[in-house]
Amino acid sequence: MTTRKALTLVALALIIALLLPACRSAGPSERVLRVWITWGDNPAQIQALFDRYGEANNVRVEVTAPVEEERILTALSGSNPPDVLVLSGGDLVKSYAQQGLVEPLNDWIQSTGIDLNDIFEAPLDQCNANGTYLCLPWGTDIYALFWNKDLFEEAGLDPERPPQTMEELVEFADRLTIRNPDGTLAQIGFIPDFSWSHLDLYTRMFGGFWYNEDGTELTLNSQPVIDAMLWEQQFYTRYGPDNVLAFATALGGYMSPDQGFYAGRVAMMVDGEWQVGPNFIPHFRPELNYGVAPFPPPADHPERAGTAVVQGTVALIPSGVQDKEAAARLLAWMMSPDIVAEEMAANSNLPTSRTAAQDPRFAQIPNFDVFLNLMGNPNAKYIITTPISLEVNDRLGQIEEQVLHTGADPVPLLNEAQAELAPALAEALSQ
Amino acid sequence: MHSGQASRPPGRLARWVARWSPTTRRHFRLGMLFIAPWTIGFLAFTLYPMLASLYFSFTEYRFRGTSQWIGLGNYRQLFQDDLFWTALGNTAYMVVIGVPLLLIFSFICAVLLNLKVRGQSFYRVVYFLPSIVPVVASTMLWLWILNPNSGILNSFLGIFGLHGPNWFHDPAWSKPALILLGLWGTGGTIVIYLSGLQDVPVSLLESAELDGASWLQRLWHITIPMVSPITLFNLITGVIGMFQYFSQAYVFGAAVATVGNAIGAPLNSTLFYSVYLYQNGFIFLKMGYASAMAWILFFIILGCTVLLLRFTENITYYAG
Repeated sequence: MTTRKALTLVALALIIALLLPACRSAGPSERVLRVWITWGDNPAQIQALFDRYGEANNVRVEVTAPVEEERILTALSGSNPPDVLVLSGGDLVKSYAQQGLVEPLNDWIQSTGIDLNDIFEAPLDQCNANGTYLCLPWGTDIYALFWNKDLFEEAGLDPERPPQTMEELVEFADRLTIRNPDGTLAQIGFIPDFSWSHLDLYTRMFGGFWYNEDGTELTLNSQPVIDAMLWEQQFYTRYGPDNVLAFATALGGYMSPDQGFYAGRVAMMVDGEWQVGPNFIPHFRPELNYGVAPFPPPADHPERAGTAVVQGTVALIPSGVQDKEAAARLLAWMMSPDIVAEEMAANSNLPTSRTAAQDPRFAQIPNFDVFLNLMGNPNAKYIITTPISLEVNDRLGQIEEQVLHTGADPVPLLNEAQAELAPALAEALSQ
Repeated sequence: MHSGQASRPPGRLARWVARWSPTTRRHFRLGMLFIAPWTIGFLAFTLYPMLASLYFSFTEYRFRGTSQWIGLGNYRQLFQDDLFWTALGNTAYMVVIGVPLLLIFSFICAVLLNLKVRGQSFYRVVYFLPSIVPVVASTMLWLWILNPNSGILNSFLGIFGLHGPNWFHDPAWSKPALILLGLWGTGGTIVIYLSGLQDVPVSLLESAELDGASWLQRLWHITIPMVSPITLFNLITGVIGMFQYFSQAYVFGAAVATVGNAIGAPLNSTLFYSVYLYQNGFIFLKMGYASAMAWILFFIILGCTVLLLRFTENITYYAG
């Protein structure tokens, strides 16, 4: 009997010991704020930055970067979400907001004194839902055209002159494409969906988007979307979709020295400003001889030069956060021009603060001025988002895949998607 | 103790419990205590979520705030959803073509591994090893093996002047590629078959041999019928597993996709039921819709299992 009692006690003690760590909460002396960031080119640098806030305010800031996207939804709907969540794009914010997962920021912006006038309009607009700010843009991304000067020279092109029109880009791409004797590709001039889709940029260049400007109507089957897809399609049909796909699959990973453009196998690419910063081209291929220029407009619309789609990271406060004031203060600190300048300069992302953009550190990054100028360009447009952005993007992705990789006609596919998704948008907006 | 309770005539269960000796009672309490972690776990983490998802399937689910009851709305919408049928079709392909192939392949492997040859245990280890490789790792590995340009398989085919397919990038070949990947990881099924093969009575095999039956005849008339319960078990677990096929397809879509959507690439040819369910629930945030899908899948699997059991009743041999 005594042995049994002793054993029971031991078992109980073990169970309690196992359960205790789960119930542990930070004591009053150790206040913890948690920041989740869905990207993380350099996690140590980000943690060090937030440590400074922690030291100044007697809290501990735990940064998780990159956080697995699968964890976010569970955390947001649970009782203990991160205090600040930084997403790599604004396309999810309105969907989350519709589910009641996002804290509206208007009052907090006022009480913490965040200066909205200092934030560039294009990135700020993606957080604005009918006057309610659901998030604030932290860093901004803009895409431009990268070209390999050595390959231009080998093809007999002027290495200092990138294509000036979308038509010329097609022509250059053709001259920069080299075939093997068996018809397969040895080098390619341009892959329109290299790394991921850039349909937003091409569609803007053709003068429209898949929503009207205030995001209240779906315009999937409008001419600019069709034109953009057909323009992309020719890069596949010209060399055979199977050849291009087979070539693309043999290229190295995005963050590797064998990435197609770094390795000199893809002569031109559309990519973002982080490429010129310390974590990308200078890290993986410091010797790469390349140039960057704004993506060119169509020949008959020179006035669209400088068109760019502004996207970027946004920060939000989940609605389930207990101490919203502490979270808002942290967010306000993140949005202060000094911190924006420091974080964005360290990772070569575009700052969203006008004051931060003046920081001399940005001028020191070679080629960064191309992106800074693009963001200041009146043709720079923010990416329009809606509560059904992800469904629309997914559907567009499927159509783009069919059009590019199988040579399908985009018109019937877009018509069908428009008929199906337009009512879904209307319904989502009416709620 | 309470007069109200005492006045009611005790039920059969209560009468039975009342006859327990103090030792039995103590054992019962202890037993319940020991099983409690499982019971609590089952109730809290299996039964409750299941019932909750049944309720959610009739609502427009909200992650925060009240979900709105919409009756059969989600179910009605599902049957009109083209992608639902695409996903169901892709999954059916894997069940109808993949599962039998997996069974035949593992049975052949098991028969070979059961032969008394030198290095038998070495071969057994070699065939089992792939099944303990994490799914994500093995999928990534196969992405390299099946790379149309630099992959080892197409290079090998190239030696014979054959031009291998684009595998994962060709919608016609992506599912066969996944089945190939599955064949490589059948170690678990092989082991179950192996244990079944060891149970085939040697006396039967020997008497058949004395009667002049060839190896093939013995295999066909004795071994295969004797392991039929094992085949049924593998078939049912295989079908259930295949209906829930997810990880490989998910990893693979992400790696294969070049345009926009990573799920189901290429061209929705790997959009399996569970993958589409995940996409609806966790990406499009339509948790009610996803719950409805889950319940439909539950009934499909239940139906298939019942049918399989019924149709195999007469051809499954249970010794003893």
